[in-house]
Amino acid sequence: MSTSLDTRPALGTRKRAVAARKRSRTIAAGVLSLPLIAFAAVFVVYPLITGSMTAFQASTLFDLAGTFNGIDNFTSLFTSDGFAKSAGFTVLFSAIVVTVEMVLGFGLALLVNRRFPGKKVFFTMILLPIMVAPALLGIMFRLLLNGDIGAIPALLQGLGMSVSLFSPDSVVPLLIVLDILQWTPFTFLIIYAGLQSFPSELLEASAVDGAGYFRSLFSVIMPVLTPVLFAAFFLRAIDALRTFDVIYVLTAGGPGTSTTTLSIYIYKAAFESGDFGRAAAAALIILVCLIPFVPFIVKRIASTGMEKTK
Amino acid sequence: MLKRQLMAGTAILATAVMLAGCAPASGGTDGDGTGTVKMVSWPGPEGEAMAKVVEAYNDGQGQDDGIEVEMVLLSRQDTFSKETALMASKSSDMDIYWTASYNVGQFAASLDPLDGIDTSSYFPVAVDGLTYKDELFALPLDVSNHFLLYRQDLIDALLADPASVEKYREISAEVLGTARDPKDPQTWDLDDYKAMAAYFSQSENPESPTEYGTILQAKNLLYNTMVWNDVLWGYGGNWAEDGEAALNSEAAEKAVQLYADIYTNKWTSPDSSQAEFPETQAALQSGSAAFAIQWSAAFAALNDPEQSPEIAGKMAIAPVPGGQTHVHALSVSLNKYSKNKEAAKTWLSYLATPDAMTQYAEAGGIPAMPDVLEANKAINPAFPQVSESIAEYGYSEPVFPKTFQAYSKLAEDLSGAWVGQVPAKEALEIANNNLQDLLG
Repeated sequence: MSTSLDTRPALGTRKRAVAARKRSRTIAAGVLSLPLIAFAAVFVVYPLITGSMTAFQASTLFDLAGTFNGIDNFTSLFTSDGFAKSAGFTVLFSAIVVTVEMVLGFGLALLVNRRFPGKKVFFTMILLPIMVAPALLGIMFRLLLNGDIGAIPALLQGLGMSVSLFSPDSVVPLLIVLDILQWTPFTFLIIYAGLQSFPSELLEASAVDGAGYFRSLFSVIMPVLTPVLFAAFFLRAIDALRTFDVIYVLTAGGPGTSTTTLSIYIYKAAFESGDFGRAAAAALIILVCLIPFVPFIVKRIASTGMEKTK
Repeated sequence: MLKRQLMAGTAILATAVMLAGCAPASGGTDGDGTGTVKMVSWPGPEGEAMAKVVEAYNDGQGQDDGIEVEMVLLSRQDTFSKETALMASKSSDMDIYWTASYNVGQFAASLDPLDGIDTSSYFPVAVDGLTYKDELFALPLDVSNHFLLYRQDLIDALLADPASVEKYREISAEVLGTARDPKDPQTWDLDDYKAMAAYFSQSENPESPTEYGTILQAKNLLYNTMVWNDVLWGYGGNWAEDGEAALNSEAAEKAVQLYADIYTNKWTSPDSSQAEFPETQAALQSGSAAFAIQWSAAFAALNDPEQSPEIAGKMAIAPVPGGQTHVHALSVSLNKYSKNKEAAKTWLSYLATPDAMTQYAEAGGIPAMPDVLEANKAINPAFPQVSESIAEYGYSEPVFPKTFQAYSKLAEDLSGAWVGQVPAKEALEIANNNLQDLLG
């Protein structure tokens, strides 16, 4: 004789309960995702669709309704010197500034990660440039660097150096230096935050194994910080490729088109030429060129970094 | 999974439908002739002067009209960009746009023509510049033109000293190929301008009281095209002849070469490759340059002891060498998509009166009405010169739908050549082709 001790509900009832739970979880997930979906729809999907449609239209101030013109906008971009030149300048400018900012930001983060007198003041001073709006910074630089009334040329002159900071030969290096001054604090901040959560036992272990400072830096610190470094690099690279404010305020892309970035090119196409189709096409090309890099970067950011020390 | 995708799709669709509900207005309406009129303006002397006129109207005539004008100040640099965005979305947010003779053709599709405005009190050149396809699309408000602003004390010292005159003759022979006597700036031609730029530069004349003779406005900026146009017109050139681009002319080459010579010989600061209005003011105020072709609005500040302590009282004003000055009018236009057009028109009619423009002049503006300028010369000593120079030397560039783009494109194509980076002929060839495309 056997007595069943199973007090669980019948299989059908259990299945129904599981299904109900699943349903309620799905509803909850849907409800909780709504704000994000709405955000994405309003600020990503809608502009992306509208922008993509505009890129295939002859949409100008004279024809606001826009008429489909196939790939004319793209053809005009690829056959114009201006777009290629601005793309070349933007890539070169971004490569230089991001590389230097990463190296300097990392160095500063290592420096500030130690104890020394006045560290808090130093820390705050480093961060000041990123607290100022870029356009405002452009105006400040325009005043500070003015050859007739600016403090910096006056200081250089006092030191016996006569430099024309805005001459065609020096304006590109000047823009690079200004970008580095403005954005190195950003890479510093991200890398410094990464160093704060760095497991100290790893350094202790490497010291016990006899590793010197540089060996620890290259074989322990950098591999562990890889996701942080990639995050800093990714954010800065994206921002550098969109550089607009300071350069626009200082040079408006000139002399000629020698300092025209892609953003300035797009801005001028839309708001000076009133050619929204060409501007949207240029923006779409940039997007398509950048998208393939995203999974690669995201993969690096998502990795733990710890695996590389094993 | 499918359900989730469906839900996400539904949410996106719902949002898109909601967004469609936010679609821009499809057309304007007259309104009942009363209520609030929103008008764009930009900061600076014109915006400040307009604010006073608006205040006076709201406190007086506006009460009778049942209209309150609300002025919306956008940034000086990006006013037109923001207006372009509003026009692109056919927005009815603003009833009146801030426009100018150099962009009214471009904006015309989003503006209503102004019928029934008596334009006889305005400078004809200002009205011409705002007329597109035989219709007036904007009400002239403020006129801008150029002058030669120069250091009277330095010129007087040169003219009074025989040794300096001899030095000037030497330098002018070197620069122009023939020796010239120094002249009063009121009678300079472009050769005098060039020779004087050399004489007052320490690179050419170590005894010069100023480091540079002049300051060029050579930044890649549409407003700098307007300044350079004075030189082009002064040499007898023009943008176009009979509808065809004419920048392949000898006059155009001379005009670019003059800039390039001044820049490469260091008769202007090397920084002038990025100079515009404020940098020109700074060079004159600091005493590093002896003269410059500059906008009319600059003169008052240069002779103000508070703003220009080093040079106030030493500055004088003369026509642009070569005897041609660009003239443009800043103006206000009626938004085609306004929901309150009748009230906006009432306000515009008020602005077109000499009384309103007198208030505008008293508040620091330079109204486009010669009689008002003449009657108010006590307020601003430059008013009579403005009147005279616009009447006698003023020209306006050809108005066509893409005039605004043409200014920008010319600055882009020529700014490298202005500072000697690109040969004049090469830059002009590119500029001419681009201008021809824009002319259509």
